[in-house]
Amino acid sequence: MGEAPAQIPTSFGHELRACLRCRLVKTYDQFRDSGCENCPFFKMEDDHERIVDVTTPNFNGIISMMDPRRSWAARWLRIGKFAPGCYTLAVSEALPEEMQSICQQVRVQYVPPKRI
Amino acid sequence: MPRSRDEDDEIDGDYEGLELEEEEEEDEDEEERGRGGGGSRRKRGRSNFIDDYADEDSQEEDDDDEDYGSRGGKGAASKRKKPSASIFLDREAHQVDDEEEEDEEEGEDDFIVDAGTDLPDERGDRRYERRFLSRDENDEDVEDLERRIQERFSRHHEEYDEEATDVEQQALLPSVRDPKLWMVKCAIGREREVAVCLMQKFIDRGADLQIRSVVALDHLKNYIYVEADKEAHVKEAIKGMRNIYANQKILLVPIREMTDVLSVESKAIDLSRDTWVRMKIGTYKGDLAKVVDVDNVRQRVTVKLIPRIDLQALASKLDGREVSKKKAFVPPPRFMNIDEARELHIRVERRRDPMTGDYFENIGGMLFKDGFMYKTVSLKSITVQNVTPTFDELEKFNKPSENGEGDFGGLSTLFANRKKGHFMKGDAVIVIKGDLKNLKGWVEKVDEENVLIRSEMKGLPDPLAVNERELCKYFEPGNHVKVVSGTHEGATGMVVKVDQHVLIILSDTTKEHVRVFADHVVESSEVTTGVTKIGDYELHDLVLLDNLSFGVIIRLENEAFQVLKGVPDRPEVALVKLREIKCKIEKKINVQDRYKNVIAVKDDVRVIEGPSKGKQGPVKHIYKGVLFIYDRHHLEHAGFICAKCTSCIVVGGSRSGANRNGGDSFSRYGNFKAPAPVPSSPGRFQRGRGGGYNNSGGRHGGGRGRGDDSLLGTTVKIRLGPFKGYRGPVVEVKGNSVRVELEMKIVTVDRDAISDNVATTPFRDTSRYSMGSETPMHPSRTPLHPYMTPMRDSGATPIHDGMRTPMRDRAWNPYTPMSPPRDNWEDGNPGSWGTSPQYQPGSPPSRAYEAPTPGSGWASTPGGSYSDAGTPRDHGSAYANAPSPYLPSTPGQPMTPSSASYLPGTPGGQPMTPGTGLDVMSPVIGGDAEAWFMPDILVDVHKAGEDSDVGVIRDVSDGTCKVSLGSSGEGDTIMALPSELEIIPPRKSDRVKIVGGQYRGSTGKLIGIDGSDGIVKIDDNLDVKILDLALLAKFVQP
Repeated sequence: MGEAPAQIPTSFGHELRACLRCRLVKTYDQFRDSGCENCPFFKMEDDHERIVDVTTPNFNGIISMMDPRRSWAARWLRIGKFAPGCYTLAVSEALPEEMQSICQQVRVQYVPPKRI
Repeated sequence: MPRSRDEDDEIDGDYEGLELEEEEEEDEDEEERGRGGGGSRRKRGRSNFIDDYADEDSQEEDDDDEDYGSRGGKGAASKRKKPSASIFLDREAHQVDDEEEEDEEEGEDDFIVDAGTDLPDERGDRRYERRFLSRDENDEDVEDLERRIQERFSRHHEEYDEEATDVEQQALLPSVRDPKLWMVKCAIGREREVAVCLMQKFIDRGADLQIRSVVALDHLKNYIYVEADKEAHVKEAIKGMRNIYANQKILLVPIREMTDVLSVESKAIDLSRDTWVRMKIGTYKGDLAKVVDVDNVRQRVTVKLIPRIDLQALASKLDGREVSKKKAFVPPPRFMNIDEARELHIRVERRRDPMTGDYFENIGGMLFKDGFMYKTVSLKSITVQNVTPTFDELEKFNKPSENGEGDFGGLSTLFANRKKGHFMKGDAVIVIKGDLKNLKGWVEKVDEENVLIRSEMKGLPDPLAVNERELCKYFEPGNHVKVVSGTHEGATGMVVKVDQHVLIILSDTTKEHVRVFADHVVESSEVTTGVTKIGDYELHDLVLLDNLSFGVIIRLENEAFQVLKGVPDRPEVALVKLREIKCKIEKKINVQDRYKNVIAVKDDVRVIEGPSKGKQGPVKHIYKGVLFIYDRHHLEHAGFICAKCTSCIVVGGSRSGANRNGGDSFSRYGNFKAPAPVPSSPGRFQRGRGGGYNNSGGRHGGGRGRGDDSLLGTTVKIRLGPFKGYRGPVVEVKGNSVRVELEMKIVTVDRDAISDNVATTPFRDTSRYSMGSETPMHPSRTPLHPYMTPMRDSGATPIHDGMRTPMRDRAWNPYTPMSPPRDNWEDGNPGSWGTSPQYQPGSPPSRAYEAPTPGSGWASTPGGSYSDAGTPRDHGSAYANAPSPYLPSTPGQPMTPSSASYLPGTPGGQPMTPGTGLDVMSPVIGGDAEAWFMPDILVDVHKAGEDSDVGVIRDVSDGTCKVSLGSSGEGDTIMALPSELEIIPPRKSDRVKIVGGQYRGSTGKLIGIDGSDGIVKIDDNLDVKILDLALLAKFVQP
């Protein structure tokens, strides 16, 4: 347990949203209160308007990452470097351009989802 | 594999699966090394996990030979290295990761050393100790070793880097060394919950949960996947979980299927305001609805739809009265009428929505506005994809209260369903939105969203970029289009009205008006009938229905047919389902018309009484004395008319009906007397004609008994009886019997059992022209004689028969007027028209040729090139109304001086050959030798054995032309036969002389050429006429 896990969703229903960059899944309220653990630079907790920009309710599947470093699934999904927590397998939307440029500024990589 | 490993576990007791495998591979390595080594390299190729271990192996070869007890030593070695790597990586700010890694490695090592005692507390302690130890050792480490490892480690890490997109996903494929996926059964609908709870459990309980991850798929109910190294770990983790059936078997996902588990499609749901959606469940299932608001957070949408509310039931429900539970029916969609509701004492509250400020009527918790119901539903209960509202639905939705913009809001989603490449270069489009509304233009180029259009409007940038959603395809009335999507898909028709984006087209099949979206059609010259078949039944089939009624399928709808019932008194159309059709009626039945003429299918009949009086057309079906007649001018019921057979009379002729030819007219002109030897009446109708004038008033009268000479000698084909199919010349006609010589045998057959339109006339030199020229005649004939079309069969066929041939012969060997006085043929007897033009006009100046008016022949039946001369003679009166201006049909007189002069001169008939490749128009010339040559035209002279030369015709007489050689006629004058001459076609701007047609003899200037037509400015009146080039010759001023 080297790393503090991200917040765990407090519900399992449609209040859930996924971060468009790291795919962390939490409820809207959780994002509002504490932002995204992997992507603090979005500062969702400060700018609540931004939550809808950088998170989405449209995601597909949930994966609870207990041990991202040694999980093959995490590696396959390329979320092995993030904090343990609940993620989604796939989001359908890409991060808005503006938010992508934020990623560039803080030098984190952003990989848009592959369109199927 | 897992099984055996578990067994191994029991035996060895102290190895984790991973380590064990490692061990096994090392054993292999040993063997290989014994054979020459290199095993470590092989392993490196497999995976990075392996790489690491393998490298360790190679570094510590000594260890390899040791027993398992020495693993501790190995563990120590690795500990020595790992920390060094972590130091390096610390510098790269990856400390946390590495420590994590390190911890885990250590944990594993602990296991090995501790012989698998899994008590968490103990383990934790040990780990802590270990870390201390390793840190110490690490500091003592040698630098070069550090570097080597750091290299390896960094590479290793790169592969784990989830963000390194340059790493092929392929490289991440699971290996045997990776954790496995186990499928665990859980309560339905609790998949996510289980996954989240396990996560929470992991956090609460710490590392004693040795599972790596838990996957809950949206599309897989009842199962979750747990990633762990061992089944035991999975079991441990799920112990005590409420929604997991612990006693269920845990299934291992085969390694090659692991990626499939995680490969999910992320389909984008693009839901926005004004999108058309359909309800998926409940009372409104399948109904169209329009999105008015989307709550992405709650995953709910507010839609407006047309309520299906039974106000009575609602009233009783709100009153607390008992409402029968069973839902007998779904109320039809109907706009909510608030006043009506109030009348039923339903409490209606008017409330203002705090968010939008709109007022809603609230009835029992349901919100209404403008008659629409506003309903907030879950995203999951609506269909978003591929919603294509039908026209009717949209129309219903478009309440008058809605303004135009609202309408277009709807349209935009309609357009959202457009496929890529909806607009293509050259498409005519119209702007339907924004400032440029109603601007028309043509598509120049299509970019992503924008379409560059070229418009007619001056002063606009050219090309102009317009958003695709503001554009709509544009069609003009009169365009012929094909519907490519929507309910009418496949149908074709002509645009009769354009109302913005809605077209009204006249369907080719049903002759009905169909409303379609401009977007749903493409311009096409294709004529299709759309869907023409359901099951075994096709459009226009005659079918027997359940209740023993019958009718013709006149239209196909969704899974249903429109059938025009066989009720003659008034058109009755029924909508029938497939199962209501008993069978197709395919019997061939003949019935008799009012005058007892036989009517068979395909015969042309005219309705003479009843509601459809005056209609005329071929019979398509006959059943129980009812005819289904197809009149293409009849726009209702797909052109079908239903009539009693006794209300009809036969007009045309067809092979089976035998006496069609005269049926109509004969019956009407009962007193009509046909000339006995009738070369004229052409043909194919011997029988018909026989019936016609021999019977004077119905061929079923006794008239036929008189003996039908006209049949004699003609070749007939036997239709019925034992000799069916045989053919041969008629040798004797006696009463109802005809003796036919079949090949060698003469037999007696019933008269009705023969068909007369046999193409061969063996006993005559068959017309050499007939075949070729026949076709061109047809088209030209139609316009002149409206009645002719139905009679085409009859009219055309005569050519084949022998009767024509003799006439032509006579035409060539002029000696008599072969045709009898035709005065009594007048009255526009269609039969006679069709049949009359049988022989060549080029006949010599026989007296008989009173009105040799070739021109009239042309004028009336332009197609009947070689036969037209006969026409005037046959029934001049009939042709009187087919004026031939330039050819006064003065009997006994050559009407046109010029033509008269050479009329006789064309025995060779060379030029007349209509069948010799002249185009359709050419018959006008081809028919007449005299059309060809006139004085003062430039010709090519090629006499046999001599070179060709140009010359100018100076005179035409007695079938020879006097030609002055030289392009302007300045040379020698020679005599040439028409066969030796060829008109030199004029070129543009040449002076021309018209050698045929209405303007024959006129001169003019060729001001243009369009295909085979020449545009001529005629000198006399300066009119510009378009004439066939073949009618034009280069004019040389004398």
